[in-house]
Formats: sequence, structure tokens, C-alpha cells
Amino acid sequence: MTAEDFLSYFSEARFVKELRSRTKDGALSEMATVLAQDGGIGDPSVLFEMIRRRENLGSTALGRGVAVPHGRTTIATKTQVVFARSRKGVDYDALDGEPCRLLFLIVAPYEDRRQEYLPLLGKIVEVVNEEPVRGKLLEVSTFGEFQQAIREAFRE
Amino acid sequence: MSDRAQRLALLQDLELMMQEAEDPARKEKEEAMGFPLDGMAKLEKERLKLLKHIPLADLRTYERIRHKYPRAVVRVAGRICLGCFQTLPTSATRGVSEDGPLPLCENCGRILYWT
Repeated sequence: MTAEDFLSYFSEARFVKELRSRTKDGALSEMATVLAQDGGIGDPSVLFEMIRRRENLGSTALGRGVAVPHGRTTIATKTQVVFARSRKGVDYDALDGEPCRLLFLIVAPYEDRRQEYLPLLGKIVEVVNEEPVRGKLLEVSTFGEFQQAIREAFRE
Repeated sequence: MSDRAQRLALLQDLELMMQEAEDPARKEKEEAMGFPLDGMAKLEKERLKLLKHIPLADLRTYERIRHKYPRAVVRVAGRICLGCFQTLPTSATRGVSEDGPLPLCENCGRILYWT
């Protein structure tokens, strides 16, 4: 996967510079609303319920301030990602107890003909595993800066 | 989306999520990435709770279609059924009354919903 392939799942409309909520449900609801508005999904409640249930299956907090909530839903027509940051941190029940500051919400349809969902999830995990990348993502203030940070991460 | 179709879409999402989590290859991949899938009992509880809010007739329709297709509920985009990709007749409408029949695709028979 190239940097541009990776970035094609993100968009400026799905870039949340600063989450308002500091609770897990609040943050997930904010992100679901952003995706519903930009992704033509309509009612975000089905999306939110799917994400909430996926969290009940197992926490998607990776530790070190990162969470990657993800899942498939009937209402999605393509794979999309919302990137959100919280400088103050979201109380996400992470195993290491750290609040989450970088959140990536991945939503995919069931008819995943290009089989892109799991490789994308794996790539996000790989990218945020690098401390310098996390540091840069915490500092970005525009979608352009986010794109730049991702391109640099792919070069390194 | 009607509440009835919405509840069936929620049930479908939940059941497919459980099905995927029970797939050993899938579970292994997710867990290797750092995502434990150990909450099946919680999901089963949620499923049973959700079932209580679905009329029996709707559930029977859903189960009958699920025997035929992996997904019983499909989105409508424009006037296209996203299950079989056929154009729906103009008479197909998004409105579902609380006691009327569920909207089904005339071609494939799946439950339709509009977002």
C-alpha cells in the first residue's frame, strides 16, 4: 500500500482537529456523525450502535494514546476512515490506562470486494506504532499537515 | 429508515459481527494486531435484548432471507437494490408503516431500506 492509497481512505471532511467530547461514547458518537454526514450514510445511530457493539466485543484501544475503532456495517457503501485528535485525551479504558489522543475510525461495507478492510486496519496499526509518527500527528492542525505527516511516515 | 428496518439492520450487523469474530483466521489476525475479541457473551446478551424489540413476523422474514443470502437487509442507493443491483420500480417507497409488510426487492427478495 502506498501513502496515496492509504490517504485515499481519509478526507478533509473526515479530519477532526479536536474532539469536543472526552468520554469514549461521546467521542465515538462525534466521529460517527462526521462519517454519516460525509459518507452519505444518513442516520448515524446505526453506525454508532455498530461501533459501540464492536467495543463490547473487545476494546480497540491499542495503548500509547491510540484507538482504532473499526467495523463493518450494512449501511456503509465504501471503506472510509475518520481521523480525530484529542489533545486533552479521551477516557477510552485502554489497558495501559492512558487517555486516547489519536483516534482512527474505520467503517467498511460487508461487500468488501477489494478486500481492503483488514490490510488497511493493519497499516494504520503499523503507522501509529512508530513514536515519531504519533508525535507528528499530535501536532497537525490541518488536513494538509496530516497528509504530510503520513507521507513522511511512509518514506521512513 | 423505518424503525422496523433499522432494527433488522442492527440485528444483521450484530450477527455478522459475531459470525466474523467466531472465524478462527479472522480472530487470529485481529488479535495479532492488538485487538482482543473476548466479549462474545456481551454481544449475545445484546442480541437477545434486540430480538425482544423485533416483531415476530419481521424476524421470520429476516431469518427466511438469511437462509438464502448472507445479508437479508440491504441498502437502497438511488433506486438500486444494493443486494442484486437491479433498479427498483417507481412504486417502491421508503415508507414502512408500523403494521404493513416490510419492503422487499421484487427481484431478489431482500429487505430494503433507505438511509
